[in-house]
Amino acid sequence: MIPTDPQEREALAGEYVLGTLDARLAAEVAAALPSNIALREVVAAWEARLAPLTALAAPEAPPPDLWRKIEAALPGAAPDEAPEPRPGFGARWGRLWQGWAIGASAVAAGLAGFILLQPDPPPRLMTVLLTSGDQPAWVVEAQRGGALRLASLNPQPVDADRVLQLWALPQGATAPTSLGLIPAAGEVTVTPETLRPQPGMLIEISLEPPGGSTTGRPTGPVLFIGRLSAAGNS
Amino acid sequence: MRTEPTLATLLVSVAGGDRGALRSVYDRQSVRLFGVANAILRDRDAAADALQDAFLRVSERAGQFDASRGEASAWLAGIVRHAALDLARKRGRELPSDDPALGDIPVAPEALEAVAATAEGRRLRDCLAALDEKNRRGILLAFVHGLSHAQVAARLELPLGTVKAWIRRGLLQLRECLA
Repeated sequence: MIPTDPQEREALAGEYVLGTLDARLAAEVAAALPSNIALREVVAAWEARLAPLTALAAPEAPPPDLWRKIEAALPGAAPDEAPEPRPGFGARWGRLWQGWAIGASAVAAGLAGFILLQPDPPPRLMTVLLTSGDQPAWVVEAQRGGALRLASLNPQPVDADRVLQLWALPQGATAPTSLGLIPAAGEVTVTPETLRPQPGMLIEISLEPPGGSTTGRPTGPVLFIGRLSAAGNS
Repeated sequence: MRTEPTLATLLVSVAGGDRGALRSVYDRQSVRLFGVANAILRDRDAAADALQDAFLRVSERAGQFDASRGEASAWLAGIVRHAALDLARKRGRELPSDDPALGDIPVAPEALEAVAATAEGRRLRDCLAALDEKNRRGILLAFVHGLSHAQVAARLELPLGTVKAWIRRGLLQLRECLA
């Protein structure tokens, strides 16, 4: 039951937006929104009030193939663009539940990624990506869990119809692996799915058309490049 | 930057069925939004599922975005948070979390500075700062990491009933402060 008392409705909307309602109540609120104008108004007001808090979540690059999956799932997607078979939905859910069971260590690993300063870490891999004119552009640091943390040093605007794509080329490999699109500036954490940062690995950022390269290799100019190496122990 | 369409303009095009506009929204916002989903789910596979869900919702509901009620970026983040929260609930979020480090980052004293990038954010930061310490932590843990009442209670070592009442009171206090 969605309360009609304004005070109660206000409190319910606040908790809905905060996210603390249980599954049943949250579903009830979501279902009532399209038809209940008063509820919709207070929910929208709460969304706007609390929105600045989303800045507390560390930006992180999604898996490189996610847009392709979204596009394939949109209504009216061309049949020949159907996604290649992916792990069955059931298997996926199995993994989710399993995920909860091993949650403690996974959560710890995830949070470790947020922590910048760690006492006495193993040799850290890092590099500074340089422009073709040898100007420092990005600091890249490998995290313990295998993620790469990037921070822009001297951001330059990118044309509205171009995006930046991040690549890694392990030593000895013949083709780079896309690590996905990144913003033109700021800090971002990228978690490679199929490779782990190693000394000597080339990290590069290329300029690509919207959505990124469709060929699996950089198609535009490589703007920034650097090679991972162990940071000196001090 | 130059003639780039605003997010709000792109959403109008999305509502008209323009898939290229949806793609542009994704290109500009997916890194931020994936971070929002992953902070709640702490599992990249699940966060990807949530973001996919969210973009399907965006393509369906872009016509409901009302620029007079708030920023397009806030509207998008709201859709992503609810998609992630729905998934967290399906995963049995109601189990208390016993990880001692969970949520240390958003409740760190300097973290609130990240919120203060806009005028609205600065007001929110000041109003949060006026809340009782545990009250503020409970609200931040719930919003950023998607913790349930029970998880917040375990994290703050307070009785469940107390946490529920405090969070409710804290929210109403925030609203008054921001009014």
